Amino acid sequence: MKQKTDVLQGTLALMVLKTLDVLGPLHGYGIARRIEQISGDLLAVNQGTLYPVLLKLEQEGAIASEWGASENNRRARFYRLTRQGRKQLRTETQDWEQTAAIIGRFFDAKAEDLS
Amino acid sequence: MKSLRRFFNRVVNVVTRRAQEERLREEIEEHIALQTAENLRAGLSPGEARSQAMLKFGGVEALKQDYRAERGLLLIENLLADLRTATRTISRMPGLAAVIIVSLAIGIGVNTTIFSWIQLILFEPMPAVSGAANFLLVEPRREMGGYPGASWLEYRDLQTQIPALHDIVASQMVPFNVGERGQTERTHGQLVSGNYFSALDLKPAIGRFIRPEEAERPGTEPVVVISYDYWQTRFRGAPEAVGQKLRVNDSDLIVIGVAPREFQGTMIPLKFELWVPATMGPALLGRALYLEDRSSRGFSLIGMLSPGATREEAQAEFSTAMAQLARDYPEASAGISAEIHPFWKTPRGPQRWLISGLAILQGVMLLLQLAVCGNTANLMLARGSTRQREMAVRVALGAGRWRIVSLVLSENMLLAFLGAGLGAALAVWGTTALRLAPMIGAFPILFPTRVDAFTLAFAMLLGVGCGLIFSAPPAVHLARLDPQEGLRSSSNTSPRSRARKVLMGVEVGLAMVVLIAAALFLESFRSARQTDPRFRPEGVLLAAYDLSGRNPDEASEREFAARLLERLRSLPDVEAAAIATNVPLDLHGIEARPFTVQGRVRTEPGQDRAISNTVTPGYFKVMAIPLLEGNDFADMRDKAAPAQAIVNEEFVRRYLDGANAIGRRIQTRAGSFLIIGVARNSVYDAFGEPVQPAVYFSYRDISEDQGEIHLRTRSGNETALAAEARAVLRDLDPMLPLYDVRTFSQHIERNLYLRRIPARMFAVLGPLLLGLAAIGIYAVVSYAVTRRTREIGLRLAFGATSRRVVLQIIRENLGAIAWGMAIGWVLALLISVRAITKGPVNLPVFIGVPALLLSVATLACWIPARRASRIDPMAALRHE
Repeated sequence: MKQKTDVLQGTLALMVLKTLDVLGPLHGYGIARRIEQISGDLLAVNQGTLYPVLLKLEQEGAIASEWGASENNRRARFYRLTRQGRKQLRTETQDWEQTAAIIGRFFDAKAEDLS
Repeated sequence: MKSLRRFFNRVVNVVTRRAQEERLREEIEEHIALQTAENLRAGLSPGEARSQAMLKFGGVEALKQDYRAERGLLLIENLLADLRTATRTISRMPGLAAVIIVSLAIGIGVNTTIFSWIQLILFEPMPAVSGAANFLLVEPRREMGGYPGASWLEYRDLQTQIPALHDIVASQMVPFNVGERGQTERTHGQLVSGNYFSALDLKPAIGRFIRPEEAERPGTEPVVVISYDYWQTRFRGAPEAVGQKLRVNDSDLIVIGVAPREFQGTMIPLKFELWVPATMGPALLGRALYLEDRSSRGFSLIGMLSPGATREEAQAEFSTAMAQLARDYPEASAGISAEIHPFWKTPRGPQRWLISGLAILQGVMLLLQLAVCGNTANLMLARGSTRQREMAVRVALGAGRWRIVSLVLSENMLLAFLGAGLGAALAVWGTTALRLAPMIGAFPILFPTRVDAFTLAFAMLLGVGCGLIFSAPPAVHLARLDPQEGLRSSSNTSPRSRARKVLMGVEVGLAMVVLIAAALFLESFRSARQTDPRFRPEGVLLAAYDLSGRNPDEASEREFAARLLERLRSLPDVEAAAIATNVPLDLHGIEARPFTVQGRVRTEPGQDRAISNTVTPGYFKVMAIPLLEGNDFADMRDKAAPAQAIVNEEFVRRYLDGANAIGRRIQTRAGSFLIIGVARNSVYDAFGEPVQPAVYFSYRDISEDQGEIHLRTRSGNETALAAEARAVLRDLDPMLPLYDVRTFSQHIERNLYLRRIPARMFAVLGPLLLGLAAIGIYAVVSYAVTRRTREIGLRLAFGATSRRVVLQIIRENLGAIAWGMAIGWVLALLISVRAITKGPVNLPVFIGVPALLLSVATLACWIPARRASRIDPMAALRHE
């Protein structure tokens, strides 16, 4: 149970970084929508889980936030990627691709390859 | 780096908690508003749109928890919350908290004060000298016992013959007479080896220290280093002091430097003012052979281990060296062995009895502290019972066992720390008071105790220890609580009432011991004021002189005393004058010497001993001790009479079975004496002592180089005699100071001072402990009674009278108390008979104290019992 949320949080963080990288500054709802659009049902429920992730990233210095006005002219908190966040995104993307490739190869492997 | 930044942010967030919470709320609202708008656009009804949005967002409370966990430091936040709760809880019980804090503070304060003394002696035996505790004592030891010190030549030999010790330092304590002719002052100093200051690694406050070459050849370098205090008082701290002349024992010494502020010599707690090269000894002491004579011992040697060497090596080398010296110089060194001691185990000086006394005192006080802890634990347990419900609610709402324990702990620790803080403040006051206490006597004594980081750490550690001890029972009790049980009722059976009763019994027992000890001390102190010493101290002036710097022979000593007495007796206001070597009721006591007397054969092993004092004729007249038989001693200049002695009544009763004493001979190490008189018994060592046998010898037969002048005034104003006595001595010898001038009454007061310290301590601690015991009993009984409200109500409903209920509750609790009291009483009796009075049991104390304690205990039981018996039976039964 705990393991699963950890994985989710890790991937969620990466998704947040990527979203901000592609779309520029966004408020929480915008990020949630974007992730929902791309990932399908990952955030279909419990959109709120996004906020602890945002906070964690902000405390690590990967993103920064400030108050701004939303589309319907309400006060909203806008998040943007920092320089450090961009760097983090790069290395984590690399790591992710590497891990994915290894795992991929592992799953593709047949019995005779391992013997 | 990343985690560090995160941590830092979290710390910031703990502080800015409120703003952060507000931010999350706003963000959630905004999120839901946006989602609602989106849903509306998708065609949902407004109500549906919002509820869908909220559903999609998920559980807000759970999120807030996650968010909070992510944001801050849960542990610290919990701790802060606990502390807040603790502060609130404590401020809601100010009376109880005050009792706990004050009792802890007094215990910790007293313990810390004692610890600061022990610390001084064990770890910092020489203030201003770093690593002083590492010095070792190099002590030659006589075969038949005693540590005579080393001679100068022996020191020079040992310096090279013990390679395991480097830089051995020699010093000898000497009284100096400082000042111009006619106005000299007695000042204590040390004759030291040339490496004294360099080996101790000291830096002068101003000027320089003695150089090694200045202690090489006798008499060539008349230099002196003075203490900081001496510099301040005598030279008003002027830098020009360096280079000035100081007249010491009628020789001029040049002040070359000032020792560091705290430094007081190498013999704590003695405080020295002057340090002179040992090579000045022959000139200053008037003893030409002082440095060449190997039997002229008296130097104390200390040294530090060379790098890599062990104490065993040093001991072996020292033994070898002493054996060789014994072969080379049999007349001076035969029968003298070698011993190396750690610095605190010095075989001489006040330190020796101090350290064991302090250890015992510390032990007793720690016991007392334990009693305080037990009491606090009882109080907290009793209070905990009323909080069962609160804790049960907490557990039911999801608080873990550890949260409950940490809540209880933080409350108790807060109390403990407040107590320790106040205790440390008390210790600062206590050490200062003790440092300033006038320790007057023949020697200047200063205990430079102070509260430093180490002592503070001790106080805090004691506080933490106490806190842990007294929070354990309530914490365990509450953490074990079953929330269902706790919520359902408060009248379940108590599994810990036995432990509580035992605790109560132990506490009462401890209270009994300490209270009896306190009462005995106070009683002896009070009776000391009222006892007749059987001599008359009123109207007598005491003053001391010392010829030892003159190195006089016996004839000149006798002549000096005779002339001094003649001059003093010619003063118009002097009714009688005498000189004695000992003054009764002295701090150091009077030595009892072994003897044999004609007409007595001792059957049991050992030797007969009697208090012995050497006095001049006229002594009994000054002291107003009547001679029951025979006559006073022969005149000082009488050369014909045989050596004489006067004994007291007790001597006759004990050693001669009351037979006629006059005309018998008494044999001591000093020779054979003829008993010529019998004096009435009087007090010698202490008020309240059992009657002691005593022998007086005559100054005429045993001359001494120092003496205490006793003057009885005619007018009754003995203080006025001081100036005249000084003038007389100045006339006789302008370089000789009259010192330690005091009236006999002052002398007694001063020596009672040391007894007054424990008396005062007990006077404060006794009532405190009584109060503590009463509170402890009250807490336990009222706790037990609350738990039995329903039972008591039932009994009352069935027709029991409230009187019966009260009696029963008191009877139940007095059982445990009585046990504790009985054990405490027996212990106190044993201690008293064995150690304190050694005499008959003080019945009023041994009956009065238990009676007092019992009535206080009964009262402490009665109050809660009575309250319980007054409840309305119906209300009690409805009471959950």
